[in-house]
Amino acid sequence: MAVVVELFGICRERAGVASADVPGACLGDVLEVLATRFPRLADDCIDRRRLRAGYIANLRGEAFVSDPDTPLGDGDSLLLMSLDAGG
Amino acid sequence: MSSTPPGYHGAYLRIDLSEGVAEPVPLSAETLRRRLGGSGLGTEILLREEAAEADPLSADAALAFVFSPLVGSPLTTSAKFAVVSKSPLTERINDSLASSGFALAGKKTGYDALVLTGTAAASSVVVIDDGQVRIEPAGELTGAAVGAAEGLLADRYGPGFQFAVIGPAGERQVRYATISHDGRHAGRGGSGAVLGAKRVKAIAVRGTQRCCWADPTGLVAAARQLSDKSFGPATAKYRELGTAANLLAFNRLNVLPTRNFQLGSFAEAESIAPEQLRAARESARASCAACTIGCEHLYALQGKSQGKVRLEYESLFALGSLCGVSDSEAVLACVERCDQLGLDTISAGGTIAFAMECVERGYLAAPELRFGNGDAVLAMLEAIGSGTGLGPRLALGSRALAAQLGGDSLDFAPQVKGLEMPGYDPRGLQTMGLGLAVATRGADHNRSGAYEADFSNQVDRRNVGLDAARLAVAAEDRAALMDSLILCKFLRGVFDDLYAESAAMLRLVTGWDVDGDELRETARQIVDLKKRFNIRAGWTPAEDTLPPRMLNEALPDDPQAALSAEKLQQLIGAYNLERGWTRDGWLKD
Repeated sequence: MAVVVELFGICRERAGVASADVPGACLGDVLEVLATRFPRLADDCIDRRRLRAGYIANLRGEAFVSDPDTPLGDGDSLLLMSLDAGG
Repeated sequence: MSSTPPGYHGAYLRIDLSEGVAEPVPLSAETLRRRLGGSGLGTEILLREEAAEADPLSADAALAFVFSPLVGSPLTTSAKFAVVSKSPLTERINDSLASSGFALAGKKTGYDALVLTGTAAASSVVVIDDGQVRIEPAGELTGAAVGAAEGLLADRYGPGFQFAVIGPAGERQVRYATISHDGRHAGRGGSGAVLGAKRVKAIAVRGTQRCCWADPTGLVAAARQLSDKSFGPATAKYRELGTAANLLAFNRLNVLPTRNFQLGSFAEAESIAPEQLRAARESARASCAACTIGCEHLYALQGKSQGKVRLEYESLFALGSLCGVSDSEAVLACVERCDQLGLDTISAGGTIAFAMECVERGYLAAPELRFGNGDAVLAMLEAIGSGTGLGPRLALGSRALAAQLGGDSLDFAPQVKGLEMPGYDPRGLQTMGLGLAVATRGADHNRSGAYEADFSNQVDRRNVGLDAARLAVAAEDRAALMDSLILCKFLRGVFDDLYAESAAMLRLVTGWDVDGDELRETARQIVDLKKRFNIRAGWTPAEDTLPPRMLNEALPDDPQAALSAEKLQQLIGAYNLERGWTRDGWLKD
């Protein structure tokens, strides 16, 4: 099972890519893989199976999620972005 | 309480431009503690000056430059001031905040606020030099663009002075003209038009009168801690990418207003995104005075215009996707023209985008004014600034233009209370939609940061429940506190407890025994005070709403993003009750 991770803002800058196909059945699994694959992303945005404070995940462009056990479906899109939206 | 607390001067300076006289007006310690500074104190002063009842462009109107107890302190982002007046765009309270050396020099004139009333006989510069006031002819400044005017003022008055100026748009009383200084702007609501109506081209301030601090040693230590935190991850987005980094994320979530809110996504967003701009052109970073965040991102112009232009998300959306413009050079050129003419980019873009849809629908005969035509946007900005062609009609804003055009045009005018909407589609961000509907300044992302709840797992952003009312109130109260202290909202993420930590800073500055609970109540009272101003100015419950388009049409690119009039009314009722007002929104006393 794999999801398409789309990265925005600081997350994209740290990973150096706009998107990545990542295996995982839940949010925590995907973040662990991302942390291994993108060390700079791990340093600043990921704390083990969770996003660090200041970052947020969105599932399929719909709901914002934070629980590492949030289930993901094959082919789901998972968006990672900064929490502060203002400007 | 009686004597003036540390951090304050204990008076504002009232300058009557008609009579050419100035007098100090005392501010009691009780008033200062209840209203703090900035937006809160400014609203209090305006009510005393009976500005709510006055025509904002008449001699009876008052306009206040308001400082705060933190201005001049070592606390990061505290070099801020509020410009408070009745808005000529909304006829309601308007408090625009900005950061620059003007705040530092203005407070050193020896006053907590500078209040202008009356009207000068001719285009003038108001000079306030250590509390002494003189009114001088504007002379060669008249008609000058913002940058040129600031240069002429620096030549005329020399070092030590700081300036607030209006551009040609302010002189022509464009209803969304700004007041500018050091490349920053008190941008929203048309305070530049109020100054223009008073025939004041610029204000020059200089002074030597510093306030003392209750605990200077503790304050320096607290300032160092706050600065350290301001370098952390909570501000990384602003520091490294700037606010324009919102664009692609908003686009992906279908909440990026596009083509006058007809869509929530812009197919060509990548071409104007800051990621693309940085790759294609020279860029630089800058900071406001006394700020350690450094959120300003400037991009080089590559066309006919030269130099660098500061780009914020709101300018990018308003002059980009909202007008359907995908040419990044055109967008940057339009932002630069707004800066130099002294125009609020959100209202300028919103009004032009509205006019574009009016052309599509046959309400306006201006064939060149089509979505996607960046040259037409630039030409229209020039027309607004110079008062030519369609400019004078668009200078009134989208609500007034709709009133002229008639038909159903008001349904798709992108405004609340007359203020053009910022870059958040309320159908997909419904807590924000509530905040925009009820905000005292009109459609406003700075007085209601309710999008914070939508960008979280606290609500279903496309189908919020009544609990959104509590979240909207909380966001609005936090903004009221930060706008009165005054601190930059980009710091909000560094606080674990905004109220308690703000109280700790305020204790060090003023010596008051203030705590977080008191500041929480103070913030609520300041929101009440703004509502009181609006009620005196003629507010009715009917104006707390969103444009009919937002309530009748789902977003075509996200059909689940729909907000009905009935749902919005339920949310507004819950919000009003949460505030302790009547369900309709009236104060109970």
